[in-house]
Amino acid sequence: MADSHQEWLKQMEEESKAKQASFMAGIAQRLRHPVMTKAPEHPFRGAPDFWNKFEWDREEKIERFSANWKSVGGHVARLADMDAARDFIAEKAREMGAKYIVRQNEAELEALGLEAALPDARISVWNTDPDVYWKARSAEADFGVVIADHSVAYTGSVVVKSSKDKGRSVSLLPTVMMIIIPVDQMKTRLGEVLVAFDEGGRENLPAGIHFITGPSRSSDIENDLTIGVHGPGVVYALLVG
Amino acid sequence: MTNPPVGAKKRLQNMSDNLIIRLYYFDIIAIEVQCVMKVSLFITCLSDAIFPRVGEAMVRVLAKYGVQLEFPKVQTCCGQPAFNSGYWDDARETAKTILNAFEDSDFVISPSGSCTGMIHHYPKLFENDPVNKARAEKLQQKAYEFTQFLVQVLGVTDVGAVFPHKVTYHPSCHGSRLLGVKDEPMALLQSVKGLEFVPLPFAEDCCGFGGTFAVKMADISGAMVSEKVDHVKETEAEVLVGLDMACLMNIAGNLRYRNEPVRVMHLAELLAEGAKLA
Amino acid sequence: MSAKGALGTVKERAELALNDEFLRKAVKFTTERLRNGKKNAAGEHGNWDEWRERGRAIRLHTIAHLDYYLNLFVNNARANGVHVHFADTGADAVRIALSIAERKSAKTVVKSKSMVSEELHLNAALEKIGVEAIETDLGEYIIQLAGETPSHIVIPAIHKNRYQIADLLSEVAGEKLEADTTVLAGFVRKKLRERFLEADIGMTGCNFAIAETGSMVLFENEGNARMVTTLPKTQITLMGMERIIPSFQDLEVMATLLPRSATGQKLTMYMSAISGPRRSEDADGPDEMHIIIVDNGRSLQLGDPEFQELLNCIRCGACLNACPVYRHIGGHAYGGTYSGPIGAVLTPALNKNIAEWDDIANASSLCGACYEACPVKIPLHDMLVYLRRRKVEKGHGNKLEGAGMKGFSTLLGNAKRFRTVVKLGQIGQKLVVRDGGIRTKLGPLKGWNSYRVTPSLPKKSFRENWETLDQQIRADLKEMSPEMKQRMEDAVKRRGQGGGHHHG
Repeated sequence: MADSHQEWLKQMEEESKAKQASFMAGIAQRLRHPVMTKAPEHPFRGAPDFWNKFEWDREEKIERFSANWKSVGGHVARLADMDAARDFIAEKAREMGAKYIVRQNEAELEALGLEAALPDARISVWNTDPDVYWKARSAEADFGVVIADHSVAYTGSVVVKSSKDKGRSVSLLPTVMMIIIPVDQMKTRLGEVLVAFDEGGRENLPAGIHFITGPSRSSDIENDLTIGVHGPGVVYALLVG
Repeated sequence: MTNPPVGAKKRLQNMSDNLIIRLYYFDIIAIEVQCVMKVSLFITCLSDAIFPRVGEAMVRVLAKYGVQLEFPKVQTCCGQPAFNSGYWDDARETAKTILNAFEDSDFVISPSGSCTGMIHHYPKLFENDPVNKARAEKLQQKAYEFTQFLVQVLGVTDVGAVFPHKVTYHPSCHGSRLLGVKDEPMALLQSVKGLEFVPLPFAEDCCGFGGTFAVKMADISGAMVSEKVDHVKETEAEVLVGLDMACLMNIAGNLRYRNEPVRVMHLAELLAEGAKLA
Repeated sequence: MSAKGALGTVKERAELALNDEFLRKAVKFTTERLRNGKKNAAGEHGNWDEWRERGRAIRLHTIAHLDYYLNLFVNNARANGVHVHFADTGADAVRIALSIAERKSAKTVVKSKSMVSEELHLNAALEKIGVEAIETDLGEYIIQLAGETPSHIVIPAIHKNRYQIADLLSEVAGEKLEADTTVLAGFVRKKLRERFLEADIGMTGCNFAIAETGSMVLFENEGNARMVTTLPKTQITLMGMERIIPSFQDLEVMATLLPRSATGQKLTMYMSAISGPRRSEDADGPDEMHIIIVDNGRSLQLGDPEFQELLNCIRCGACLNACPVYRHIGGHAYGGTYSGPIGAVLTPALNKNIAEWDDIANASSLCGACYEACPVKIPLHDMLVYLRRRKVEKGHGNKLEGAGMKGFSTLLGNAKRFRTVVKLGQIGQKLVVRDGGIRTKLGPLKGWNSYRVTPSLPKKSFRENWETLDQQIRADLKEMSPEMKQRMEDAVKRRGQGGGHHHG
């Protein structure tokens, strides 16, 4: 089956490539120009100029981020260092009775020593054992512990990128998300993070980039705001530094 | 010969101030005459037939500042009902009466943002007719809604009116959105002495007129105008003022249907009455 | 669902809606909430018109060079490991999606909100080959259980109250659920968790596709789109061919406009950029990813100066929330996949069957609130007029109305005839005028007078009284102040310089 499926995919691929040329030619014809092969000049790339000059200082960024995160129902803790972060997570885990914790496989989280701080909880480290069904392991977790790759004050967003050691599930499936945000790297505008993806180029993009701006929510039932519809309903932003 | 009436004498003086005659003594004689600007009234069919009082009020308010409106009688309708319903051939026929009527005007003033807005559609309406398209573009530049002309061109915001009543204002969609007439009526209302202004909730919502829409989709239109009147009632205003008789006729019609004693006026009427020009 | 299939005309459907008190109140409340949210968010952000202008410029530029950018996207998506497919029609897209499902021997498909999928009626097609399609957006899930279609782009179940929702969910639960939002949402969370984990295919729409990197971007609040792109082994993304933007930088502009316009949020809770299937060592994300690029009438707008801008739409729903007609009749009255002002234009434009869909174009007072609300400034109110015109040009006009308009232009194309008409009206109305008003509900006044009293014509029209008025005015006309004269001359001068006077 695997072979035949690969063959089928290949066949589809060929059909698609054949179709591609005629599809583009059709568009070009309707637009009344020859099929374009060179990039057109794009004078309006990205945000207006005045916006790109806009920047907050460190304290203002922290303040605005916190206000935004709280305004959508998230929780914020301002912590001096990673030790304080560990204590905070352990404290919350005890308080909420968290038994299952899943965390990303990152050196900073390893160094945190959560395992020692929470001897009664079962703490799993993402993708460290090929025999474990990691999606289900995350789905049953009470806490997911992750580190933000980026954060943006203006929208109150954190950014997580997927990799072998960083599961998308860890920030998505547990009931509670604990996200550690190194404040020194916080940006003011969304564009500061986005432009780096352009500059880094396609080859360097992870499969999944996720901007998270608070707890999962919905107003689909009678406009009544509900938190935690599919993703985590409780989200802690741990501002470290 | 008897003396001309006083008014006519004044008018002649006005003209002579602006009269420049240049004579060129070559093989031809060219005479260039520059006289007072021609400011024309575009009455709109609705105000012509049903609300002549609005046109009269406009004429009187502008006369206070020495503007003598001229009224080309060949004008009829701007063609909007046909245009909006998709019958552009028919719209072009009536639009031509407007192009003809105001060919020589310097300013074309109307008591309706919607009908003035229709003139802004003329270049598109005549896009395949270069001659009339050029005429349409010229006319578009000259076309003003009443308060636009009064405030933007003449620079008048206080006509010296006194109107001790509670007033609310409905901004008609075409005037406010298409022409951008938003601040002008507010500036004029603010200068009226004794007037108590009450903002209309959801003021920018359409009243539901929409020309043939009110007939074709009578129930939707009815629901919209009923909601508008609910909001007017909430203000407890004695007077509803606006800049477009079509919308005001619609709202007044529902007010009357519901026996609500709110007086409905065009802003020109309010100003004329308040300044005792009527 | 065709316009005909969806019960008669928009007028009849609207009547149903107008008589549904709950629906009207719910739609009104929701649209007002969203509209105010948008207003506040745009105000707080500031320079809103500059952002709109930038958004429009990016969209215009991309669509004008769509062959280049779409091609670039396709090549980059392929390089990311995505299987890209092209569908000229809805039927082609369905065929491709079904063949993938069959190849994968799929039993269930979990879906996050996709208007394109609604356009294709894909769920029904999947059911036919024995594949269960599960909508996972809370609102979509509810209306799927009810067997209905979305009535709003952003809030699909706007027309259901929580008692109706409780009944629907109780049936699934097999027990009586309390009509409490938290209880109901909690039940759906638990129920759908199982479905996410066991589903064979995850299906999504696509808010934006980034040409330079081959990434597809999803905006959502619930996390279901993340589930759909994280858990199942196969991902199928349905993408309208016009969803392209050039770069991630351009995404900042769209991310600024879309959530604020849709719900008044600074950003949706989740914004995800997916660039291909999972990397080989990743432990989640799809093994296999397909993107089906759908035309289905979109390319008909390309090169059409009156409608090309339709493709700039970013599906925020702001025009629905601003529209006074939508507010009174709700989404279903429009009878198509897309409702509100955008639907009234898009549905006939995509289907190219102006004759059939014309009545939707008539369900607008042309107030322009949609244009004012649109974050990329699509002139929907003008497009509605163009649609009406095209229908008349194609000879699909209403015969009675056509005759009426002919009469209109004959009578009003000439001042003398106009005067005669008014004269006849002044005399004729005597039969029906009472107390200065006309209340009869006979003939053409039936609809109008069901809600209004029509004013009677005054004895003299303006033009009949003009000479008298003009003489009075001339008699005591003051001289204009030099300052005003100057202002008038300046206004005339400005025209030559392309400035003209101020207009919106």
